[in-house]
Amino acid sequence: MSSKESCRNELRTAIRQLSDRCLYSASKWAAEQLVGIEQDPAKFTPSNTRFQRGSSSIRRRFRTNEITSTPPTGVAYVSTPVMEEDEVIHGDFYLLAKSYFDCREYRRAAHVLRDQTGKKSVFLRCYALYLAGEKRKEEEMIELEGPLGKSDTVNRELVSLERELSTLCKNNMIDPFGLYLYGLVLKEKGNENLARKVLVESVNSYPWNWSAWSELQSLCTTVDLLNSLNLSNHWMKEFFLASVYQELRMHNESLVKYENLQGNFTFSNYIQAQIAKARYSLREFEQVEVIFEDLLRNDPYRVEDMDTYSNVLYTKECFSALSYLAHRVIMTDKYRPESCCIIGNYYSLKGQHEKSVMYFRRALKLNKNYLSAWTLMGHEYVEMKNTPAAVDAYRRAVDINPRDYRAWYGLGQAYEMMGMPHYALHYFRKSVFFQPIDSRLWIAMAQCYESEQLHMLEEAIKCYKRAANCNDTEAIALHRLAKLHRELGHPEEAAFYYKKDLERMEAEDREGPNIVEALMFLATHYKAQKRFEEAEVYCTRLLDYTGPERETAKNLLRGMRIAQSSFPSMDVEHFHP
Amino acid sequence: MAGALKPPSAFAITPHKVSLCILVQIYASPSQVSVPFPFSSVSQHNRLGLYLLALTKSCDDILEPKLDQLISQLREIGGLLDHWLTDHLTSRLSSLSSPDDLFNFFNDMRGILGGPDSGVMEDDQVILDPNSNLGMFLRRCILAFNLLTFEGICHLLTNIGIYCKEAISSCSSYELRRLDDSGNDLESLSEYENMDLNLVFKKINEEMEARKRATERVSFHLHLPKELSTLVEDIEVFADPKSEHYDKGRESSSYASSGDLLRDFDPNGGVFLRTNWQIQGYLTEQADAIEKHGSSFTLNAFELTLRQLQKLAPELHRVHFLRYLNSLYHDDYFSALENLHRYFDYSAGIEGFDFVPPTGCNSFGRYEIALLCLGMMHFHFGHPKQALEVLTEAVRVSQQHSNDTCLAYTLAAISNLLSEIGFSTTSGILGSPFSPMTSVGTSLSVQQQLFVLLKGSLKRAESLKLKQLVAANHLSMAKFDLTHVQRPLLSFGPKASMKLRTCPISVCKELRLGYHLISEFCCEGSTMTTDGAFSTAWLKNLQKPMGSLVLSQDNSSRNNSNPFLFCAQPSSIPGSVLQLVGSSYLHRATAWEIYGSAPLARVNALVYATCFADASSSSDAALVHVKLVQHLAVFKGYKEAFAALKIAEEKFLCVSKSWILILKLQLLHERALHRGHLKLAQQVCDELGVLASSVTAVDMDLKTEASLRHARTLLAAKQFSQAAAVAHSLFCMCYKFNLQVESASVLLLLAEIHMKSGNAVVGLPYALASLSYCQSFNLDLLRASATLTLAELWLSLGSNHTKTALSLIHGAFPMILGHGGLELSGRAYITEAKCYLSDPNFSVSDNPEVVLDPLRQASDELQALEYHELAAEAFYLMAIVFDKLGQLEKREEAAASFKNHIVALENSQNVEDLLLSV
Repeated sequence: MSSKESCRNELRTAIRQLSDRCLYSASKWAAEQLVGIEQDPAKFTPSNTRFQRGSSSIRRRFRTNEITSTPPTGVAYVSTPVMEEDEVIHGDFYLLAKSYFDCREYRRAAHVLRDQTGKKSVFLRCYALYLAGEKRKEEEMIELEGPLGKSDTVNRELVSLERELSTLCKNNMIDPFGLYLYGLVLKEKGNENLARKVLVESVNSYPWNWSAWSELQSLCTTVDLLNSLNLSNHWMKEFFLASVYQELRMHNESLVKYENLQGNFTFSNYIQAQIAKARYSLREFEQVEVIFEDLLRNDPYRVEDMDTYSNVLYTKECFSALSYLAHRVIMTDKYRPESCCIIGNYYSLKGQHEKSVMYFRRALKLNKNYLSAWTLMGHEYVEMKNTPAAVDAYRRAVDINPRDYRAWYGLGQAYEMMGMPHYALHYFRKSVFFQPIDSRLWIAMAQCYESEQLHMLEEAIKCYKRAANCNDTEAIALHRLAKLHRELGHPEEAAFYYKKDLERMEAEDREGPNIVEALMFLATHYKAQKRFEEAEVYCTRLLDYTGPERETAKNLLRGMRIAQSSFPSMDVEHFHP
Repeated sequence: MAGALKPPSAFAITPHKVSLCILVQIYASPSQVSVPFPFSSVSQHNRLGLYLLALTKSCDDILEPKLDQLISQLREIGGLLDHWLTDHLTSRLSSLSSPDDLFNFFNDMRGILGGPDSGVMEDDQVILDPNSNLGMFLRRCILAFNLLTFEGICHLLTNIGIYCKEAISSCSSYELRRLDDSGNDLESLSEYENMDLNLVFKKINEEMEARKRATERVSFHLHLPKELSTLVEDIEVFADPKSEHYDKGRESSSYASSGDLLRDFDPNGGVFLRTNWQIQGYLTEQADAIEKHGSSFTLNAFELTLRQLQKLAPELHRVHFLRYLNSLYHDDYFSALENLHRYFDYSAGIEGFDFVPPTGCNSFGRYEIALLCLGMMHFHFGHPKQALEVLTEAVRVSQQHSNDTCLAYTLAAISNLLSEIGFSTTSGILGSPFSPMTSVGTSLSVQQQLFVLLKGSLKRAESLKLKQLVAANHLSMAKFDLTHVQRPLLSFGPKASMKLRTCPISVCKELRLGYHLISEFCCEGSTMTTDGAFSTAWLKNLQKPMGSLVLSQDNSSRNNSNPFLFCAQPSSIPGSVLQLVGSSYLHRATAWEIYGSAPLARVNALVYATCFADASSSSDAALVHVKLVQHLAVFKGYKEAFAALKIAEEKFLCVSKSWILILKLQLLHERALHRGHLKLAQQVCDELGVLASSVTAVDMDLKTEASLRHARTLLAAKQFSQAAAVAHSLFCMCYKFNLQVESASVLLLLAEIHMKSGNAVVGLPYALASLSYCQSFNLDLLRASATLTLAELWLSLGSNHTKTALSLIHGAFPMILGHGGLELSGRAYITEAKCYLSDPNFSVSDNPEVVLDPLRQASDELQALEYHELAAEAFYLMAIVFDKLGQLEKREEAAASFKNHIVALENSQNVEDLLLSV
């Protein structure tokens, strides 16, 4: 990897170039990474670095293995020469156009640049036209909500833009920014293969445009597609890969990449948030919460990715923290899908499901492909016992992204609620297929098999076994396994699982009827097996509890003593031949 | 959909509606004369009115006609007026250039509506009643316009612009042509113009026919590569050269996709589909087509159409169901499963226009229908166990939601499932928690359960007045009666004396009851107007009789072609009913086949093939052809049968495991056996066996047939012990699965095996057992052939039993001669002759014709069949008789024929090797 200093220089130039072309979000991203690089303490006053230092202690707490900043050897990163600016002649018009653009008067900006032929001007003109078309499209989408949900609004500029850009591309008169725009247009038109090619070309010649990378990422829906890309090695590629891996649900790979990147970009909020999201997918909620708290301390007005944080808070049932977060985002930016989603989560936690649905619907109004809002809304409808609506919401989520295991799970649950366990099984199967490491899914499926209508206990046992193997935090699986085996008349297996369950409950210091049940079974089981010593241990433990079991235990003990004392010789014969 | 996610489908104002408003204004322009300005007669005026009525009725569309389509329709309606009408329309439309023009336009519209007290208007003034259909339409339009935001008005304006621009670009070519025409014949008479139109329409009709033929050809012979290319080259492929001409001048704008859609929709060219209803109707029609043609329906082309349709109307979930059907019939399990679930997730089972809103307040979806469909799907893919599980769940859920209709259908599906799959396999599945019939208990055998189920479902269907289901249930009841005695075959105790027979009368009764359906549909056709075909029919009608329409303007018979009759089409019998009635004929044919009346079976099959060919599914039609060809083979010999087979093969796609393929194998096997090509016979037989156990499921009928043929081949090869072993195990299987009709023929085969191996005494009980089976199942023909075998057995026991044998044969002769095939009667004749010859009291010289006549008959028939072995025997006997009579010349002739057959039989080895090498 190139040194921090060269990264810094590249980024600085890139930010200037990107914002000069009005690619604001890319330049925002680049600037975030620039500040994320650890400063050289020699050059800066403590006041500058204090803000970075303050939080590092928390960060270190969760850094399990200290990652050295040296990358794996053998990877040669190409250094892409920083582009030279090409035009100064018609700079005045450009300046005017850019100010129009900055004021969001896109058509005016395009009009000013109508006769300019420099690459930069052409790009800005096309980009302005594109955005104008997008803006109009969004407006029309609200204006025309036709019957039958028909929304055939298109960006009307796409056709002419495609024509112009493809000619430019053919004549080799196009710069990487133009290529990015061309790729964007192609993607909108549905020509994904060419779009991918063009975007790869763009990022290979100008790697610092994060927007191009993210467009490319959205086009990489499978690992095979990813591997087929011909990308040159640049440190930006690492960011790209990490993000693609996350999207492809290869969370561990993604995490490794991000942690590697953190070596250089120690203070990047972006990386931090991404790590949090990856860990969230791996269900490491404690750590995620700490990371987000840290993140909010540094960047209190952040809205991006905060929906994940709210999900964590929801799962942990932190009422006040969630309300605080909701308040904060609504003060920052009310009309962001994330904000609406957070508020929806809050209401859901409070049990006010109608209000919650309202906010999720608002989020969907703002972005109708907002996956988690569909799923969460489905959950709300389930709570409200409006199963058809829930099914509809979940199905939309699944159609947007078929890998969303939560929505599949939700569908299964909804059908199970309607008393159709066999039908529900299809959905549970789908859900465990996409997320085989989640014990809750397995348990849900097992319960479905166990239901009185199906009563397919063998299959239920298989599912519970899978659940027990993937870190079942609520310890349902072991208990159920033991019980099922007992019902099916497999005492050996039942004893095995009761024992395991008991060990686990002891380790976690749990109390409850399950312990008594396990002890009771084990005691009688071992007694029946004539393994009196073990049986005695369990019986004596039972004596610590009150209730009828205690009496039974006493009886058992007494019975065993009599058995041992009356036939000692036989026992001796039996055990020591 | 009960979820609150969908926007209510609003009455939105569109360019098409604006042009309708203009037309209404023309129709009802406030003037003082009874016939307003542009119209020359009252009828002309009325015609426009009726046309407008039809258009306003279909205004809740997905796709609206474009201006040029509207104009071309106007041209048909308007007759002499069309110039004026179109000019007025286009000029009025193009004059709308600013939002203010629109405001003024709709203000004007208000003027042609009468006031609320319009009851007292002057007689001769045309004022639109605000409560009339047109008035309502106008009011709705005005209201919708008033509700529009300013942005909405801007959109309307731009849309009107696009609407006009498209029409002009496509119209100009037509106008030019027209101008040319009128330039040539300025003084052309109106009749001439009509004739011209006639010609044009004739041409269009021809073109439609041609295209129809083309598509039909494609759908039958579309092979995979073509399909792939369709996929790759996108939509352009199925625009055949002719439709290019049709699309000439259509601008490729944002509407291009809808244009393609229209073109794809109907092969009939000129007609376009528009309303929501029509789309639904189209989808229903396609669903029927998929079912009818099975896997020969094009997969990808239709998939593309569906995709486009979905893009245009994302909330029309029926599309997913069609996708499901499409992949179901192309054996794509995963895609079918996926689409089925998707459809029911979105629609909750309460979509589509065959949906009757539940009377109760049950708004929670009808997912039991999903279960029913899923069960049928599993059944189709050959997963009976899963199917039964799902259907059981369907029963429970529909009971929970008290959806009796669904319950009735589910029960019918279950009984269908039970009767289709082998019986021994279900016993484990029909467990304790099963079924609404828990009161019956589980001690019953599966057969009895099936009977109870059938009865129950029939009763339910009758009480719910589901006629089609009633008919279907009657049919399956008939099927049950056909093959099952109502009591267990072997029962001891006091009941043993009861009559253990199937009852042909009850079969006929059930079939007849099913048949009554058709008459009921004739009486009350109105209930079935939802059938898809009707909603697309009216536009076709609009075009067809154009020629006569103009010529006989005031003729009342014209009513038929009137677009006004959109909803009140004279209803014919819906396709599904026809299919049911047709299958009752098919059942009859099968029943007669089993009972042994060849002519009746043939007649029923012929009726089916001629009357119900249109409505039947391709597999049913193939089945009928199979029956007819089999009949030919048995009664006319193989030459004709193979000729007929060739025709059938051309007619039906010979896909794997189709009826036709099986038939071919059967014919080949029989011919090989008769000719003595034993190796070939065995090979064919093996192939049949492979077909029986395919990947999807084991076909029990085919499996028994395959092993029956195997045993027969072994018998022909004189490997008696092996043949007996095969037949024995086959009998065990038949017994296990309760295939009692098959058991009878297996027993008969066993008797034959023992007879041929020389153990006539061992054979006798088998023949008798078979005879008793035949009696209890009323299998008359089989019984006759069992009697024949019995006679042969007696005969081979020695000459002192000839009397018994002869009387047996004479008893069976009426049946054999009336209904038996060539082989059977040949055998009977030979046996008769043998009886006479071996009778010591019989002298040939006294009465030679008694022997010679049957022998001649037998030899003729067996020659037609190319059954060398028996034919040789006949000629041998003939030669002996002639020898005894001293007719040496004839003896030599018979001997020569004998030799020919023997040589053919011996040569068969070589011929066979040749055949096999080919």
